[in-house]
Amino acid sequence: MLAIARSEMTQIFRNRLVLVTGLVIPVAISGYFVYEHERFSDLGSLGYIAAIVMFTVLAFGLYTTAVTTLASRRQNLFLKRLRSTAAGDASILTGLVLPATVIALVQVVVILVVLGTVTTRPAQVPLLAVAVLATTAMMVALALATVGLTNSPEHAQVTTLPVSLSVIAVASWVGITGTEDLARLKRLLPGGSATEMVVNAWNGGVPLLDSLPLLATTLGWVAVSVALAVRLFRWEPRR
Amino acid sequence: MPDAPVIDVDGLTVTYGDFAAVRDVSFQVHRGELYALLGTNGAGKTSTLEVVEGHRRATSGTVRIFGASPQDRQAIRPRMGIMLQESGFSPDLTVEESVDLIGSLSGRVDSTERVLDVVGLTRKAGTIVAQLSGGEKRRLDFATAVYGGPELVILDEPTTGLDIQSRDALWDAVDRLRETGSTVVLTTHYLEEAQERADRIGLMHEGRLHREGTVAELTQTLPSVITFGLPPGAPEPPTVGARNGAFHIETFHLQDDLHRLLAWAHEHGVELEKLQAGPTRLDDVFRALDAT
Repeated sequence: MLAIARSEMTQIFRNRLVLVTGLVIPVAISGYFVYEHERFSDLGSLGYIAAIVMFTVLAFGLYTTAVTTLASRRQNLFLKRLRSTAAGDASILTGLVLPATVIALVQVVVILVVLGTVTTRPAQVPLLAVAVLATTAMMVALALATVGLTNSPEHAQVTTLPVSLSVIAVASWVGITGTEDLARLKRLLPGGSATEMVVNAWNGGVPLLDSLPLLATTLGWVAVSVALAVRLFRWEPRR
Repeated sequence: MPDAPVIDVDGLTVTYGDFAAVRDVSFQVHRGELYALLGTNGAGKTSTLEVVEGHRRATSGTVRIFGASPQDRQAIRPRMGIMLQESGFSPDLTVEESVDLIGSLSGRVDSTERVLDVVGLTRKAGTIVAQLSGGEKRRLDFATAVYGGPELVILDEPTTGLDIQSRDALWDAVDRLRETGSTVVLTTHYLEEAQERADRIGLMHEGRLHREGTVAELTQTLPSVITFGLPPGAPEPPTVGARNGAFHIETFHLQDDLHRLLAWAHEHGVELEKLQAGPTRLDDVFRALDAT
């Protein structure tokens, strides 16, 4: 698994397109949000900035990169090649998505640390960490499911849009308007509960126990995503 | 008691929707053999091999590799090298990185330098796969298949796209592997390679294994053919047929009948034109199969 991850990391840094879409763009967008934190915190809150930054990185840096990478590896039969070795399926998939996941998590942590440094520290760091990890798991599983609907790396530019834009839109909606209205709907949407968890974790003022149902809903989305991935993922191109 | 077969395929059927690509195919491959699985396009070779390789599940029937399921990769792959029909390497990795990666995942131990030397890619070690020619990619594929000297090697059209020197080098490497007792399964469109090298051949057609045996066993089912032309006005020898303006004799006793034909020509003072005679070739068996 580590050999695959190491080789994947090498390939990411040799591919300028992946490097730009997976690293530069999410960081640039997130940097803008942090730079304009006063304006965006007036619009929502600091928690909203944290949530939108997290979803931007995880949607473009992790989810889109993972779908594009896996579709590409499948199209050129690299997945079949890896399955011709003694490596197990779980080990292959973990190795392939691990570099993008680690890079995205490092990006999220660094950007949130910068946000906390230039503004105020988050009120509940453990809750924030749990929210980031659960959202990461959801985005990885959604990526595996989306690969099943994606025929090529080029096609990934289209197939990744619904999930990417949806989670960012939901994060913006929940982050800006809160959950006083339409609470159940907002929390059930993909990324809705995760956004509220991040907002609560950063802004504080909400008992930890009140965030547990949000964690349960987010983990429910992880379970749904994993189930979709198991059902939809394909190892070889359609013939 | 003979060794257990390395590959044991029993009643294999593979279907895609309503289409049966492989129908009730059974064969065994024994230790140290070179078994060639041949067939026309769409005969079911690739589907059969994919089940043997563990890339596809059988619709029905059983396949055992070293007595285990082909899906049991951790048990089987360290003993089995696979050269896929299409390369499947990442274009952004170098040749050396590709062999290192696939070799390290194979469960076998070898030196990347040695393997690259075997396939003549040492000078390309630092070149990224995207910059290799088609033939070089096939050699890279072969390098990963023979990494660590596996007990079983599956070669799916190994010499397609290779120049003659690379083909010779590849077959030399296969010969060296076989000297260590490795078993080889081969598919190829180059019938002369199978005729020259296979211990046994399975001929697939329309999803079924129609014939199986050594080259001698397969070719002796069809008569040899003597063809020749006659000068204008010459008498016709007895028991000959004509096809495409040439005369031909079909025979299971090539030497005797050729001797009789030459004696007849000598006796009648006839000079036979474009005389050709030879044993039945695999091509002929193949054509006969396709005509059924």
